[in-house]
Amino acid sequence: MSFIEILQILLQGAGYTLLITFSCAATALVVGLAIAMARELGGAWISAVLSAWVYVFRGVPMLVLLFVVFFGLPGVGLDVPPLLAMMLSLGFISGAYLSEVFRGALAAINPNEVLAAQAMGFTRFETLRLIKLPQMLRFSVPGMINELTTVLKYSPFAYTVGLPEITKQAMALVATTMRGIEIYVAIGLIYFAIYRLLLSFVRLIEKRYAVPGFAEE
Amino acid sequence: MLDAFPFVADVVSYWPQIVRGLRDTILLSVTITATGLIGGIVIFALTLSSKPVVRRLTQSYISLFIGTPLIVFLFLLYYGLPNLGVTLSPFVIAVLGFTFNVSAYNARYLTIAYKELDPAELESARAQGFSRLQVFWLITAPQSLRMSVPALTNQAIQNVKDSSIVFLIQYIEFFAQMQEVASRTFLFFKTYLFTAFVYLLLVSVVVLIARRLERRLAIPGMGVSVGA
Amino acid sequence: MALLEVKELVKSYGGRNVLDGVSFDLEEGEAKVVMGPSGCGKSTLLRCLNLLIEPTSGSILLDGKDITRPGADVRALRSRIGFVFQNFALYRHMSVLDNVTLALRRLKKVPRREAEERALHELDRMEMADKRDAYPAALSGGQSQRVAIARALAMDPKVLFFDEPTSALDPIMVREVVTLINGLYLDNVTILCVTHDLGLAKHISDRVVFLDQGRVYAEDLIENLLRRDDPVIEDFFGEG
Repeated sequence: MSFIEILQILLQGAGYTLLITFSCAATALVVGLAIAMARELGGAWISAVLSAWVYVFRGVPMLVLLFVVFFGLPGVGLDVPPLLAMMLSLGFISGAYLSEVFRGALAAINPNEVLAAQAMGFTRFETLRLIKLPQMLRFSVPGMINELTTVLKYSPFAYTVGLPEITKQAMALVATTMRGIEIYVAIGLIYFAIYRLLLSFVRLIEKRYAVPGFAEE
Repeated sequence: MLDAFPFVADVVSYWPQIVRGLRDTILLSVTITATGLIGGIVIFALTLSSKPVVRRLTQSYISLFIGTPLIVFLFLLYYGLPNLGVTLSPFVIAVLGFTFNVSAYNARYLTIAYKELDPAELESARAQGFSRLQVFWLITAPQSLRMSVPALTNQAIQNVKDSSIVFLIQYIEFFAQMQEVASRTFLFFKTYLFTAFVYLLLVSVVVLIARRLERRLAIPGMGVSVGA
Repeated sequence: MALLEVKELVKSYGGRNVLDGVSFDLEEGEAKVVMGPSGCGKSTLLRCLNLLIEPTSGSILLDGKDITRPGADVRALRSRIGFVFQNFALYRHMSVLDNVTLALRRLKKVPRREAEERALHELDRMEMADKRDAYPAALSGGQSQRVAIARALAMDPKVLFFDEPTSALDPIMVREVVTLINGLYLDNVTILCVTHDLGLAKHISDRVVFLDQGRVYAEDLIENLLRRDDPVIEDFFGEG
């Protein structure tokens, strides 16, 4: 089997890798935004509970949480399909990290702009939607890119719950061909290529939405 | 939660191997944090080399290890090295793999901190007669390290959590032991929940140490730019 | 034999000569100020003299020894030249005392106790001894500059170089530092000072070396220079 043939087989798994990465990243975005918004709008109690939640999800290893969800929940009657299990573990953990990114971004917003909006008569919700949210998202771009690439780098663990992404293909190939070095170098390169592609893609989006004169963090 | 009691009994009966697992997890975490830090300082020093070739190679190294999954590199070592006739214990492979990866991240954090340094201070040290190596040792490294404490301690926390993946290359540590306990007792949910809780405790210990370190090592008047 | 002799010093970047044949002498105990319009090369000149920048050609003699020759002992050279920077350049992760003793202990291998004594002596001279344990972030501009001067003096240099010592200070601090450097001047410390501050120049020097486009345009006592009917000089000083 030539190197090219190996690459072709491995690339079949790339589709799953991308699916897993984007599903978990989307989950993370939703969760992260939800937590950040809840902390903005909620009172002291909600903030305290969410702080604890974030602490827990940042302190638990992703693989352990995956096992809790995929192997543990069936024991209490909940059968979780593999992709959902990934979203509930990697997605939620990344969401917790994202909520912290958002928290920092919100703190960096000029408070005078918020005051100006309120003076104009906007409600808390409207201020959040029109002033805070757009700026928060712009400030959070580096952090979001970071989280996206982190999700990509933890996606291989999906193979432990049976998802046939690149790493699973690689392990099967190694078992049959015993050419460990070539195969793992190959998937290393594939992941690196996906990583660079993601970075370029996100930077393109960033440029498109950039506001002239807005300071770069 | 009366059914928690059989679980507790099970945990107690498997106690010796659980403790062994904990010990091995802590051993691995501490080791890779140390080697990753030293490696990071070395790589960071290389990014400051006067030779452009060295600088470019080092940047590529950092880029490569930050851009690829840690587990892939571990598998590469674990499944690949035997093909070259090199047999190493899982522990050594784990330490090797983690060191390459972690040192790249640490070097990146140090490089970010380095940008905040005042070049006039470095020039002043040269003007006083210090050699390039001395300037690095006395000014560059201390300032960069102290400014990076939050990022470096974050990495230490990550190391503790990431140590849980080494069972995939047959290093038996805490998580591996708990998987065995789970499969023997069939109490998957409780066992893994307990596992998560223990990791949370370990991480919390590191967090406490990290906070104290941050307070002691912060440079007066210098904002911390690299953080969680 | 002058303490410092600069002969036809040239420094070029690409095709441009930032220094285009600079020559002057500095006697022991003398104080000279280097002035000139922006881009005349004054900062480059200072940095060539202690080899922070490598000259393209020309020679520099310190105590009769040509330091531009290959194999010159750069470390020994730099320990005999005290350098004070425009932005103080204090090591911000170290206390004031540690800032002043660092070179003594690490380069001259002076034991800690003795190094601290010498340091405190210089800090006292600069009236900063009570701030020995403070960190640079807690000091004002004037205080920082005083510590920087003490740090330079602690190594017992043969000459002090100043690179725009008052440019980063507000007017009150400028007076502080001018008085201090004036004190050093009256103590017969050999001084070479780059500045565009005429007030400073008048208080601390005998003669001015006026640079223009990388060359010594004129060298004279300040009063004489100001009395000259010269367009370039008048342009720089703003008035006749």
